[in-house]
Amino acid sequence: MKKGMIKATDAFERIVHWSLAISCIVLMISGLGMMFHSLNFLAVPVGGLKNLKLIHNFTGLFFIASLFFAVLMWWREAGVFEFPEDAEWIKVAGGYLWHVDSVPEVGKYNPGQKMFFLAVAIFGAAMAVSGLIMWFPLSFGAGLVRFMYFLHALGFVVIFAFFFVHLYLGTIGSPGSLPAMTSGWVTRAWLMKQHPKWLKETEHKGRLVVYGKEPAPKEGQGHHA
Amino acid sequence: MKGTDFVKLIDTTRCTACRGCQVACKQWNEMPGLRTRNRGSYQNPPDLEWNTWTLVRFQEHENGDGVLQWLFRKDGCMHCTDAGCVKVCPSGALFYTEFGTVGIDRTKCIGCKECLFACPFEVPKYDRATDKVFKCDLCYTRLREGLLPACVKSCPTGALTFGAVDTMLKTAYARVEDLKQDGHPDANVYGDKFVGGTHVLYVLGEKPEIYDSLPQKPAVPLTVIAWKDFLKPLSLLAAGGVVLGSFLHYIIHGPKSPDENGDRDAT
Repeated sequence: MKKGMIKATDAFERIVHWSLAISCIVLMISGLGMMFHSLNFLAVPVGGLKNLKLIHNFTGLFFIASLFFAVLMWWREAGVFEFPEDAEWIKVAGGYLWHVDSVPEVGKYNPGQKMFFLAVAIFGAAMAVSGLIMWFPLSFGAGLVRFMYFLHALGFVVIFAFFFVHLYLGTIGSPGSLPAMTSGWVTRAWLMKQHPKWLKETEHKGRLVVYGKEPAPKEGQGHHA
Repeated sequence: MKGTDFVKLIDTTRCTACRGCQVACKQWNEMPGLRTRNRGSYQNPPDLEWNTWTLVRFQEHENGDGVLQWLFRKDGCMHCTDAGCVKVCPSGALFYTEFGTVGIDRTKCIGCKECLFACPFEVPKYDRATDKVFKCDLCYTRLREGLLPACVKSCPTGALTFGAVDTMLKTAYARVEDLKQDGHPDANVYGDKFVGGTHVLYVLGEKPEIYDSLPQKPAVPLTVIAWKDFLKPLSLLAAGGVVLGSFLHYIIHGPKSPDENGDRDAT
């Protein structure tokens, strides 16, 4: 670990993130294996579609637990839009799509990340409810069950597409972002680019955790990790 | 026999409700008879079940003139051309046969029960003990050997007949004409006007709405069509669009790299 790296996430956040991520990926792969006949072969390594279905169902339970903690942990920071700065940010698409001279400063999460969180939270909950009803369809009315199949497919459309957006922007689309979810330590330069407001505010409050010797605290009290 | 669509014609006006078809079906398909209760009706069991793929429904009906009729209708899989069950089946257990009928390969069934909610006739039935779905396959094993379905073979009155779709349609409509001239003005052919045409046709002596458990306008549920014909391809299109868009973003706009000097630069 290089000196001057800044702690962006704690271990619990990362555990919840990866629980959600891994269960989501397993659910998408096993779901695809059942959704498309041409992808039925995905069930071969687990010994058939019936096992794939069981894996899908029980991974769903793990996903629901992960989602519960994710929403509990993140909804305050990522689930609420702040005006007017978030509206300003959305107007310029955060500077991601075209050249923008000045992008409104972002706090812990930018509105794009908030939209992603809300999509995962809302459609994740829809997947949980519809999935559970699909697991025990004989206990419910036919009209409701039919709507749940539709909802489950709709949720998949949204989450599958958002997954690739997240994958791109969490890796090569925004270099320096990935360590926030691996080691949890990010560079000051990345924070200045992605979350300057959070950096300044946290530093001002003296809560910034910097690895090794603190380089140059501009204001507030230095904090030793 | 291959290549032609085949149809089973059920002429309800010729049915005497002997239930020979019900017994023959169980025998050929080796389905057990389970204990039932006397509910004061010959209709037994009360509905199609995992072990009962065809069932004669007994119905007392009083027509407009105060005349009591006893209507018999042999119920079972209609073998739709556009079958909701085949559309939703994730494993291919439900499939279209070379006869145009809907077969079921139970070794592939994973017990997901999706077909139960996609069938407009509520035909597929689930058995908890085996975690499988059961329904009539119009004796696929017999058809492949050039034999008649067991129910048709057993029918003593000619209420059940089997043949190529064109022939059976002609027979059905000719029979309806005869019935109309013979005091059954409401006689009609049921099955050829929806779900792409069914491979089981009825000649009904009364209007379809008179009969118990017979949908007037059966259709694959809209939610199933939205799910399978719209959302399913959309899921691939949307994700593909995102992947392509990300690639284009990367090579045109470029990634959002931090300035390693730590200076603020808003783009």
